[in-house]
Amino acid sequence: MNTALSRANSLFAFSLSVMAALTFGCFITTAFKDRRVPVNVHVSRVMLKNVDDFTGPRERSDLEYATKSNSLNQVVLWDKIVLRGENPNLVLRDMKSKYFFFDDGNGLRANKNITLTLSWNVVPNAGILPLVSGNGFVSLPFPETYETTKSY
Amino acid sequence: MFSKFNSIPTHMDYKGQKLAEQIFQGIVLVSAVIGFVYGLIIEQFGWTVYIVLAGFAISCVLTLPPWPMYRRSPLAWQPALPESPVEAAPKPESLKKKKHK
Repeated sequence: MNTALSRANSLFAFSLSVMAALTFGCFITTAFKDRRVPVNVHVSRVMLKNVDDFTGPRERSDLEYATKSNSLNQVVLWDKIVLRGENPNLVLRDMKSKYFFFDDGNGLRANKNITLTLSWNVVPNAGILPLVSGNGFVSLPFPETYETTKSY
Repeated sequence: MFSKFNSIPTHMDYKGQKLAEQIFQGIVLVSAVIGFVYGLIIEQFGWTVYIVLAGFAISCVLTLPPWPMYRRSPLAWQPALPESPVEAAPKPESLKKKKHK
């Protein structure tokens, strides 16, 4: 501590240790909060088209239905990023699905039980990333036939 | 270039160093507590970081330069002896005397 450099070293290391302790405090005070919220999901119109898949191998086909090979499948259809400061109450009407329904075995046509749920991640400053499921869902069967494009 | 920086005196005496360490530890801890409470109230961790950085800057200004308050109790060195060849001669003779006994 007799030179300025040695004092600066000591001060910086101490500040960094204090910052680490504060980050741990931030984790402790935010990670255990219950973030489930009631959710209303409605479906207005269902249209099922058979589309050729040109995008390559489909690993992420997880839609909630049962096929002969898989008992539960789930697909992400839509997402949105909400930044800090924006209204967290989402009221969205007439949304179309953003992503394709990847299917792992032709089980979407005439499927009895399709369930749509809403779940979200809360991104923390420090700590684990929780996946929270909303408290509402809607279940519907898919139509028996594919839509055919009319040609005139 | 660095010889100019090395020639600026930055020493403190021993009690001054102890005082400087207590000062910066106190300032950083107080700013950490204030920052944590404020960040908890407004639910933004960014403000906690800003307040701790402000405490760091204040303690940088207070403890890095050698202010006069850190030099109040200097060590009392003995007065410097003049360099002369007469001083070198008596020493080997006194050693020889001890060995004979």
